Amino acid sequence: MLKTLIEAFALISTWEVIIAMFAASVYGLVIGSLPGLSATMATALLVPVTFYLSPIAAIATIVAASSMAIFSGDIPGALLRIPGTPASAAYADEAYAMTRKGQAELALGAGVWFSAVGGIAGVLSLMILAPPLAEIALSFSTFEYFWLALLGLMCATLVARSSPVKAIAGMFLGLLVSCIGIENPGGVPRFTFGLTDLFGGIEPIPALVGVFAVAQVMRAMLTPEPPPLPRRKFGSIMAGQWKLTKKYHWQMTRGNIVGIIIGVLPGAGADMAAWVSYAMSKRFSKEPEKFGTGHVEGLVEAGASNNASIASGWVPSLLFGIPGDTIAAIAIGVLYMKGLNPGPTLFTEKASSMYAIYLMFIIANILMIPLGIAMIRIAAYILLAPRSAIMPVIMLCCAVGSFAIGNNMFGVVTVAAFGIIGYVMEANGYPVAAMVLGIVMGTMVEQAFVTSLIKSDGSILPFFERPVAAILAAMAIGALLWPVMVWAWRKLKPVRTGMAATSR
Amino acid sequence: MSKITRRTFAASSAAVAASAAFGLTPAVAQAYPARPVTVIVPWGAGGGTDATARIVAAVLEKDLGQPFNVVNRTGGSGVVGHTAIATAQPDGYTIGMLTVEISMMHWQGLTELAPKSYTPLALMNEDPPGIQVSSSSPYKTVKELAEAIKAAPPGKFKASGTGQGGIWHLALVGWMQAMGLPANQVAWVPSNGAAPAMQDLAAGGLDLTTCSVPEARAIIEAGKARSLAIMAPARNPIFKDVPTLKEAMGIDYATGAWRGIGAPKNLPPEIATKLTAALKKVYDSAEFKDFMSNRGFGTVWGDAGQFASFMDKGDAQMGEAMKAAGLSKA
Amino acid sequence: MRLPDSVTGSFLVVLGTAAAYGGWLLPPVPGQPVGPNVFPLVIGIGLALCGLAIVFGIGHTFEEAEELIPLEDGQAAAAPPQGKLYGLRALLPPALLLFYVVAADRLGFIITTAIMVYVTSTALGAKWKLALPLAALSPFAIHLIFGKLLRVPLPAGLLPTPW
Repeated sequence: MLKTLIEAFALISTWEVIIAMFAASVYGLVIGSLPGLSATMATALLVPVTFYLSPIAAIATIVAASSMAIFSGDIPGALLRIPGTPASAAYADEAYAMTRKGQAELALGAGVWFSAVGGIAGVLSLMILAPPLAEIALSFSTFEYFWLALLGLMCATLVARSSPVKAIAGMFLGLLVSCIGIENPGGVPRFTFGLTDLFGGIEPIPALVGVFAVAQVMRAMLTPEPPPLPRRKFGSIMAGQWKLTKKYHWQMTRGNIVGIIIGVLPGAGADMAAWVSYAMSKRFSKEPEKFGTGHVEGLVEAGASNNASIASGWVPSLLFGIPGDTIAAIAIGVLYMKGLNPGPTLFTEKASSMYAIYLMFIIANILMIPLGIAMIRIAAYILLAPRSAIMPVIMLCCAVGSFAIGNNMFGVVTVAAFGIIGYVMEANGYPVAAMVLGIVMGTMVEQAFVTSLIKSDGSILPFFERPVAAILAAMAIGALLWPVMVWAWRKLKPVRTGMAATSR
Repeated sequence: MSKITRRTFAASSAAVAASAAFGLTPAVAQAYPARPVTVIVPWGAGGGTDATARIVAAVLEKDLGQPFNVVNRTGGSGVVGHTAIATAQPDGYTIGMLTVEISMMHWQGLTELAPKSYTPLALMNEDPPGIQVSSSSPYKTVKELAEAIKAAPPGKFKASGTGQGGIWHLALVGWMQAMGLPANQVAWVPSNGAAPAMQDLAAGGLDLTTCSVPEARAIIEAGKARSLAIMAPARNPIFKDVPTLKEAMGIDYATGAWRGIGAPKNLPPEIATKLTAALKKVYDSAEFKDFMSNRGFGTVWGDAGQFASFMDKGDAQMGEAMKAAGLSKA
Repeated sequence: MRLPDSVTGSFLVVLGTAAAYGGWLLPPVPGQPVGPNVFPLVIGIGLALCGLAIVFGIGHTFEEAEELIPLEDGQAAAAPPQGKLYGLRALLPPALLLFYVVAADRLGFIITTAIMVYVTSTALGAKWKLALPLAALSPFAIHLIFGKLLRVPLPAGLLPTPW
């Protein structure tokens, strides 16, 4: 044990690893903070670079870049209301509201601090819980996945601040978008209108860039330039974080745990973790009415959650070669390339490499605090630049970034189309986040449902018979009925409704 | 990464001194390649096809002295990238990685493209499907499994490995046909790739998977599944214990997912010859061999002519399997 | 672009019905008890029902929270000019992106994006003193990051970059 730890230290204390890690951290911070460029994309674009690196340095770049990018997605979310990565989308509104209340440093400080804490919690889970947790997730069949995906979709109605009916409509719109293409269980072209480019369906990333970034530029076109924010230096970013940690230690821990669990589950990654944790935070909060008005509580929980999911996403990846999320999927490719084939044998034969990965995760999350603070201070100058200088550059990033995903001009068309969709939806009170969730989860829901029915020869009983499936089913149906119950409650007690409305 | 093309040069009146060096010598007399070559990959970065293309490009670059830039043209389930290869200028400066899907998609009526839409250069890789069962499965040999499948009513056994109409689905259909059984004797459960299928196999949701053995490797090594046979003419040196279908039950059926390098149709023969020769060197290089065996990918060499006839044969085989499974529109 | 709920709701009813009908037409797949037609059918019906509920104002009471954060500062301070054509300005960004799709291969990355930057910047009220240098420099910066460092194949067009 101690010997392998020393070996692991030796592995990572080479100049190559140190420089690779530092450069990848800066790269991850920059890419993550650029709207529309997700952590997954940052990692994917690193893959060509890893060809020229040693195995440990190659993994170091992925670990560092993905951790940093997930945090730095919070920065434009808070300053511009454009989440840098999908993982920050759940609470971008909240963070932006805090900025408008003059609490930008608190919001961003909470981002960096609880991200680091969450990241380290994730590593601990990777170290301690890896084998038993992966065992649980591995026994999940498509029946469980169906309920899990449905439960994920239900989060759309929980996080929405507007009418639940409109949220559900938005979710259905997203599901409809996910129907496009031939990537469905039947392998049949659906809603492609004969266009080759639609065969593969709508990629979530350009859709996200469209609804979050292009729609934002569109809104800027119609609203007058905001009065310049009072020119002041950011106060201490870390001040108050310890107080928050003590005040919200339970929320933080819950965020860590939820993030770890969601990270381990194949397919669900940091963005899902953030959505679920934010929704949980709102549901269990003592002061839920403050959510959406610039309240730090949800930020603490969701920020702690999405970074925790990064490291725990590696758990099934390392053990079984099953990616915990899209970033881990890329990491698996690099692991194979470098001769570190995933499997339990890794933990015995290449133990020092595993410890090296743990150590790199810990170092990356510690490094995140100083680098993150530096990044926040640099990024804060965005607020001083005129909008007419930022928005054009954002437009360029949208065009180039969406093209770069598949080197396909259709990505740019997608971005433009979803810009319009997002803009119209937002203007009419339809939450775009619900649609995004539908786009991301749609295929998973359908796939799980259809394959489950094939396996059960058309019987729906196994959806409720299997114990874990039954629990998940009860939760999903409860979440489904929640808005209906709330609506009925309000109809029955109109007086209360009026009071609730004024107290907001 | 210079992006100066001959067309650009002609169009650009502001001929800078630096680019003049490229343009002044007559194009024909130039030794190919005179400028960077684009290698189109129809699938996303990070996948097996992408990784193979990148290692091939890296060795080509060293050998031919010009950058070989890998470009992932994704979208349309591979149709977009394959179209981009087929419609590029046949000047040798755009080549691409062809994958088995090119012999499948046109049968489904998804595209007009077929193997004959390209100038084949070299076949580099083929991975045969394996037949995997869960480690808790009662079937110890492929023969026992086949007997049980024959005895059971159609659709009782469930198999997976890829999407509906994907290569491993067709491998299963082909195997059923080779045994004289109907295509739907084993129900196909579509999955989003081999990894989720293997996980579901381990979780007990499936009876067998027909993905390639390298794809199943991690779960097999975890002791959660075992491979009973491979549908190949010979055993895989990395999985020596797994017999071929012919050895195990006397059925001469083999197929596989392959990857090769191709160029747009009507590529000048001298460039094609040069590229095929360079690809042969890549194939024989230690870097390529090491990389492929590290990832468990099978290596198969076929020069331009062999690759062409290989694709024709595979194309016909795929068409037959697709018709049997009711997937073909043609 | 704030439309009455009856308009957006009716649009959803039409869209949902069209999706359900489109799904209905899809052929079944051999060997699958639930074909590719079911999912669009369910979604289409769900969407149409949501549309109906919105037309009839169900769930409308929840919407007051939406007004808590105005999108930008100073919305109340300066009333934006109210012309019919003014609202169309919002379509400028997507139009410019489509311009990029059409023109980038012919004009090249640098020229196309320079035009995009100049137009966007001017539309947002920048003087030429800001818009012109921005349009001249930012395409090169972006090209350096994406084209040079990340090796994204950006079209060269009429004006190749010096690297």
